[in-house]
Amino acid sequence: MSRKIERLINLTIALLATKRYLTKSEIFRTVEGYEGSAETKERMFERDKDDLRSLGISIDVGSFDALFSDEAGYRIKTENYQLDLGQITPTEVSLLSLAADAWQGAAFADQAQSAILKLSSIGVPADPIDIPGLSPKLANSSKDLETIASAIGSSDYLIFDYLSPNLLLEEREIIPIALSNRSGFWYVSGVDNAVQEVRTFRFDRVHGAITIRKNKEAFEFPSGFEFGQIDSASAVSLAIIDVRKGKGHALRTLATSVIDLGEWDQIKVPIYTIEYLTAQILWHGDDVFVHEPTDLREHVIKELQALLINHE
Amino acid sequence: MSKNVSAPLLRTARLLDLVPFLNTHQGIALKELAAHFDVTPMQMSADLMTLWMCGLPGYTPLELMDLEFESGYVTIRNASTLAKPRTITFQEGVALLLGLDLVASSLPEDRVDLLSSVDSLRQRLTQILGVPIKLSVVAPASGAVSTAISHAVQTNTGLEIRYHSLYKDQVSERSVMPLDLYDSEGHQYMHAYCFTANDYREFRVDRIERAIPAAVPTEFSTHDVNQEKISFSITGKSLSRDVSERFAISDMPLEKAIELSSYSRQWIERSVMASGSAVVLNLPLDIRSEVAKKAQLMLNRYKEA
Repeated sequence: MSRKIERLINLTIALLATKRYLTKSEIFRTVEGYEGSAETKERMFERDKDDLRSLGISIDVGSFDALFSDEAGYRIKTENYQLDLGQITPTEVSLLSLAADAWQGAAFADQAQSAILKLSSIGVPADPIDIPGLSPKLANSSKDLETIASAIGSSDYLIFDYLSPNLLLEEREIIPIALSNRSGFWYVSGVDNAVQEVRTFRFDRVHGAITIRKNKEAFEFPSGFEFGQIDSASAVSLAIIDVRKGKGHALRTLATSVIDLGEWDQIKVPIYTIEYLTAQILWHGDDVFVHEPTDLREHVIKELQALLINHE
Repeated sequence: MSKNVSAPLLRTARLLDLVPFLNTHQGIALKELAAHFDVTPMQMSADLMTLWMCGLPGYTPLELMDLEFESGYVTIRNASTLAKPRTITFQEGVALLLGLDLVASSLPEDRVDLLSSVDSLRQRLTQILGVPIKLSVVAPASGAVSTAISHAVQTNTGLEIRYHSLYKDQVSERSVMPLDLYDSEGHQYMHAYCFTANDYREFRVDRIERAIPAAVPTEFSTHDVNQEKISFSITGKSLSRDVSERFAISDMPLEKAIELSSYSRQWIERSVMASGSAVVLNLPLDIRSEVAKKAQLMLNRYKEA
């Protein structure tokens, strides 16, 4: 086994050190470890290339002589191989370790630690940050993160069953472009193949496994995507609602303005969807009263009538 | 690196990362080096032995890496090709960027110095990834609150907190002794002794609006209140994801009674109200009639207006 490891290291060194593309025959002649028949060597080399690429090392394929372009050559460009973070300060080292430690016991724990291992080779000592107790953690991590991140990296399709608002499982196919975490929930956003628009999905509403389908076509990253749109179309209108003094705290946190009416306060809150806001309003019972808009008010009244009939 | 990378590849990666690390840590003790790479000293010796055989084509002593480690301390020479650390992979970059975003949203707003360092790191890492990707993490709880709690847990000191109880729709000031911070079903909780309730309580961290260090007694007394769960029964009237998530029912049959339980009457009543026409509460009867009463009261007010 260690012979293979030696060969991979020697190959890496040879491809890094060369200033021009090396042909396969040059590699077989000079790099230690390629033995056996031509076919064996060929197979070995193909596997070695795949192995190095799976470690994140990018091998350039090119022609070393423009006149004889039939034989491909290989090299690893220094700028692609080496980490280039520019000048790094002791404070930045500490911030990066905090970022890595946030994954402790979660999905990207291994990736975060291997990144920190590489960073430690820069040789800049950490300067601890003067905020006692600062150690944020990414709770509720999902095993799907790895799959989704790799699909983002290669603009591949993700296919999954998603629970619709009326509890039906719908198959969705997206090219993912974004990952986010809000209130402890993970979301993936991507261009939905069916509508060719960006849609956002909450991980825990995905049922079963997520599969990847290779995308062979060029993908144009959609412009103008912002995280404000998460979980629904962005709020376009405001509702005017009365809230009893000292009550309705969850609604008050959403308010864009507050007017003091004595026993009550009048607040304005953005409407993401009528259904969502209706549930929020009904949760607070008789501590909340809706003025505008009419469709929200009618929806609340309709639900109240149903509640009355169902519970009399 | 992905978890499904095979053992020989993991070892190859370790050897490649070992060279730049040795370059900046000449003379490091073998034991310390092994610990840093999370392997046994014996495995580390084997790794160094393998590296020692590697170098540039030609493979004469002039082209091989020159390693010295028999004394128990490791030095390396003649390794210029691999001297610089490897660049980070896409997944490593995503991990760091998401982590940095969380760190930024956990920092106090007035730490402009740290916030701008995070920002600069984010830009440099994004450039290394070389693929457009949008990443964003917003810490569910205020950075000042989580930091104050973890500091209090570490130092065994008390806190004065302002807590929003969602079920009671009430904000209260409480004096607590935080004992633990833990995650459960996607939310962070503080386990604490509450001097206002004179008992142990669990607080959802994202509902703590403010936390400031405060002196608290070191003796706790508990009165044994046995909190009992209230059984209730609901029937689903229409398929709704909101309802299934609110009551945590993965499979929601329609027109069929579902038996559930909760510690809080208020939670049952409010959850049924919030579900509107989608759910009927069958039992208990007193909460059921409370729902009808409240619906009537609210409808009257809409009629008057």
